[in-house]
Formats: sequence, C-alpha cells, structure tokens
Amino acid sequence: MPLLQHLCQLLYDSSFGTMIRESNNAFPIIESIHVLSITLLIGTIAVLDLRMLGLVLRPIPVTRVARSVLPLTWSGFTVSFVSGFLLFWAEAAKNYSNPAFRAKLILLGLAGLNPLIFHTTIYRRVHQWESLHISPWRARAAAIASLSLWSGVIIAGRAIAYF
Amino acid sequence: MSLHSLFMDLAHSPLGHAMQTSKWDFAIVEMVHLLALAVLGGSVLIVDLRLLGVILKGESARDIGRDLYRLLLGSLLVMVVSGVALLSEEAGKCYYSPAFRCKMALLAAAILFYFTLHRRALIHTGSGKPSLWARFAAVVSLLLWLGVGVAGRAIGLL
Repeated sequence: MPLLQHLCQLLYDSSFGTMIRESNNAFPIIESIHVLSITLLIGTIAVLDLRMLGLVLRPIPVTRVARSVLPLTWSGFTVSFVSGFLLFWAEAAKNYSNPAFRAKLILLGLAGLNPLIFHTTIYRRVHQWESLHISPWRARAAAIASLSLWSGVIIAGRAIAYF
Repeated sequence: MSLHSLFMDLAHSPLGHAMQTSKWDFAIVEMVHLLALAVLGGSVLIVDLRLLGVILKGESARDIGRDLYRLLLGSLLVMVVSGVALLSEEAGKCYYSPAFRCKMALLAAAILFYFTLHRRALIHTGSGKPSLWARFAAVVSLLLWLGVGVAGRAIGLL
C-alpha cells in the first residue's frame, strides 16, 4: 500500500475520524462551517481580483483594497483549512482515491502558487500602478488565474460528494 | 392558482424532470449556486464591514455600496435562477420543509432590508464615521444573510 494511502487509512480508522464520521450532526455542521468560511476566503479574493480587472471599486487604490480584505481572506483560509482537514480526517480513506478530491488538492496548490508568483513579480512595483483604474495586464492575468483556480476549487470540492 | 400547485408544476416541468433524473445536472447547478454564493458573501461582507467602520474607513460607504450593489445583484440573480432549478428537483418536499420556508422568509427580509434601511444607512454614512444606527443596520444585514445561508444548508439536513 502506498505511504499516503496508508496514512489516509490510519486517519480514517482513528477514533476521532470514526467519531466525526459516525456522528449524526458533526459532519454536516463542520461542512456548513467549511462552506461559510470558503465564502469568506474566496468572496474576498474575488473582490480584490475584480478590482484589479477594473470592474469594481475603481477609485480605491489596489493596495488599500488588498490591505482591507487580506485579514478577512486569511481568517477564511484558516477556518476553511481546519474544517476541511476535519472533514478529510473523517473520510480520508475514501478521499484518497476520489478523483474530485485529487483535483481539488492540485487546484488548491495552483491557487496558492499564483499569489506567490504575483507578489514576487508585478506586485513589487505596485506603487507605480496601484491607483490605475485598470491594473497592468500581468496583474489582470493573475486576477483571471485566481478567479478561475478558486472557482475550480469550489467546483472540484462540491464534486467530491458525487464520486 | 395556489402556491402549492405552482411548486408541483415546477416539479413536473421539463426542468424538474431533468434535475430529478440526471445526477450531473443537479451537481452542476449546485456548483453554480455555490460560486455565486462566494461572490455574494464577499460583497455583502465588504459593504457591511465598511458600514461598521472596520475596513476602508477612508473611502465613502456610499460609493462602495453603490459599486458592490451591482456585484451583489448579479450574484443574487444567479443564485435565484440556479436556486429555482435546485428547487425543481424536490419542490414538493421543499414546500413543506421548515428550513426552506425559513430560508425564503429570511431572503425576503434580507432583500427588503437591503433596498430600504440598509441603502439609507450607506447614503447617510457617506465618507464619515458610521452612526450607531448605521452600525446596527450592518449587523442586521450580516445576520440576515448569514441566516439565509444557514437555513439553506439546513434544507438538505432536516
């Protein structure tokens, strides 16, 4: 058995994982928290992306929008990561071979890589373009990549239940 | 025509039939519903946190509100259309579901509140600090929208 699969099976068989799985309410409650925190995480990212594309909040500099939403984004990330891990704990052995789950993890990785590239390149000179109503094309490309990847995360995440 | 027969007509419409028979039709509509939820949630949150005076204090609440209203209305429209499709899958059951009724009541209250008192609070606040009343409007709005979401999630559980 591959190591990762073995680890998933261990989590799945653990008493805590079994408790979440077998409880009547734990799973749906954690799931609801997961969905709400994803709204916080992705909703705030989307507003920043739409600002860079020049679709909303044009008069406000990009940096100010970013500063305002990032604490919200990170809170959403923390809660969705913890709640997501609990859901995974309960279903790890099934998730391991679930194609939608695998797709979600890959998309999450790419969605995380995107801001890393963005911050080490075009964002370094943000003070030259923060007040432009429509950001330079490289920032717009990052915004479109971000919107697509995060949408993919939601779609793949929902699809987990269908496999 | 009664509301109940309207729900039954929806369940027996071609849309309802498609949603009931194809697993992926339902899944895709559900995904669209969730995507729009993220955008709606993000815009509600940013508008209300500005109204509370937590973020973007230097910017006009009125301008932010006007700007994000478009986003909010667009995502709300997508949610209502996809929501009707989701409803058609089990309209008969939803008609009697307390969670569904609760969600619709909260949704009606949230929309009504948004276009009346909430809008007035945004205009009154302008670029200044929010009054106690405006802060109260922001909290009510956040609670109403949160209630819509929680009641919505409960439809599938109760």
